[in-house]
Amino acid sequence: MSPNPWIWIAAFLTLMIFSFLYRDNPFYKFAEHLFVGVANGYYIAFYWHNALRPNLFEPLSAGNIIYLIPLLLGLMYFTRFIPKVSWLVRIPIGFMIGWGAGISIPAYFQAFVLKQLEGTIVIPQSFVNTTEGIWALVILIGVVCTLVYFYFSREHRGILKPTARVGIIFIMIGFGASFGYTVMARVSLLIGRIQFLLGPWLGLIE
Amino acid sequence: MKWYEVIDKIDRRIIYLLLTLFVILPFFIPFTIRQNVMPQTKQLFDFIESIPPNDRAVLLSLDYTPQTMPECHPMAIALLKHCFARGIPVVGLSFDVQAPGLAVDAFATVANTINSMAKSQEDSVIYGRDYVYLGWKSGFVAAVLDMGESIAGVFPRDYFRNSVDSFPLMQRVNNYKNVAITVILSGADYPESWILYPQARYGVKIGAGLTAVMAPKYYPFLQTGQLSGMMSGMKGAAEYEHLVFNSGYATRLGKADTGMNSQSMIHILIIVFIVLGNIGYFFSRRKRKE
Repeated sequence: MSPNPWIWIAAFLTLMIFSFLYRDNPFYKFAEHLFVGVANGYYIAFYWHNALRPNLFEPLSAGNIIYLIPLLLGLMYFTRFIPKVSWLVRIPIGFMIGWGAGISIPAYFQAFVLKQLEGTIVIPQSFVNTTEGIWALVILIGVVCTLVYFYFSREHRGILKPTARVGIIFIMIGFGASFGYTVMARVSLLIGRIQFLLGPWLGLIE
Repeated sequence: MKWYEVIDKIDRRIIYLLLTLFVILPFFIPFTIRQNVMPQTKQLFDFIESIPPNDRAVLLSLDYTPQTMPECHPMAIALLKHCFARGIPVVGLSFDVQAPGLAVDAFATVANTINSMAKSQEDSVIYGRDYVYLGWKSGFVAAVLDMGESIAGVFPRDYFRNSVDSFPLMQRVNNYKNVAITVILSGADYPESWILYPQARYGVKIGAGLTAVMAPKYYPFLQTGQLSGMMSGMKGAAEYEHLVFNSGYATRLGKADTGMNSQSMIHILIIVFIVLGNIGYFFSRRKRKE
């Protein structure tokens, strides 16, 4: 068994959280509240030491008055709490939206729209390898049929009906893959905790 | 009560107990369920293999948190072992608030393991020469875009408050031109943002180590070549551990591989539960109709 008291604390807190699986109880509540408190404390201290102090207050105290601009913009967010001047909050929000849209929209189109479209288009080079050619066709059919399923401007009749049906099959396969991966992720977290309890705490495994 | 009604009304606590048992037992009953290596993991491994030693660096963005540690921490350790064994310099950094402590642990674990077996300075892994951990930075988008101009400009000091310019490694890693690939290990959507900003502007090669929940979303990026490889969840980490071990870069497999036996057992159990649940549901429904 571990001689380290921090390992014991971590092990008991883990067991307290797991106790919820049986039913809600005061041990679980204690661990939950402790986690919220510790996480908040960590975040506040972390941001102060790694963001606010080095990026704002240290340059300001060194005489860089240009840093007054981000300070003022940041403080304007708090004007929401003063009804008379609450309109000032629009200035930093406007600044952030303008900057965010300017930087994101062209990049978004390039990385997520054009590149993905490019990946869907079937060209002769797609058939250099037979297997890859078949997969390229499957992707094309999957994308078109799924898009048809989400096309609601017209009733799904005639050719649209079977196409949308095929689209549903692709969507369901997608959901199945997501579910399988989600199960794997959640089980991994349990395995991680069990490895901690059996290893560093109890010393039963390496 | 009929058998299918019993199946339909199993107490969830029995299911939890069985799950826990199926996780614990494989640690004590030695057996191996063979794991195949998925193409995307091999792709990332091959990319790292193709980087010449002592040339361009691997930029490792460690953005996972304690919650996702069982999946991403083994990835970090396997990847670092691979890079260090091949003499590829590594520059680490983080944008997630909870990541720095885990990142420091990953670097220290691998460096200590290699240095304990090293016979000379040449065989050792030395901070500042072979790897640097730059620490955490706020303002993700501005930071990753500015790093295209100068990494030292964005991170003037490393995690331990040393001047970045004082490290021999950082004198030759100025910006993305000196980086062969950026690998992001994360439980959040950081890889997507790396594709969106620095890749779209500077053409940075990107690899990812993701939690399994995120993996399906990233397959389209593999198909378009926007991702140069990917490890998905604990399985991806175990696969990379195998690749590193089989290539002789590590003397033993890691924690992800140990966990995969439990993972496989749980999957079998869950499949059994799903089948039983459906049988119970259909029989109960038929009975109700009658």
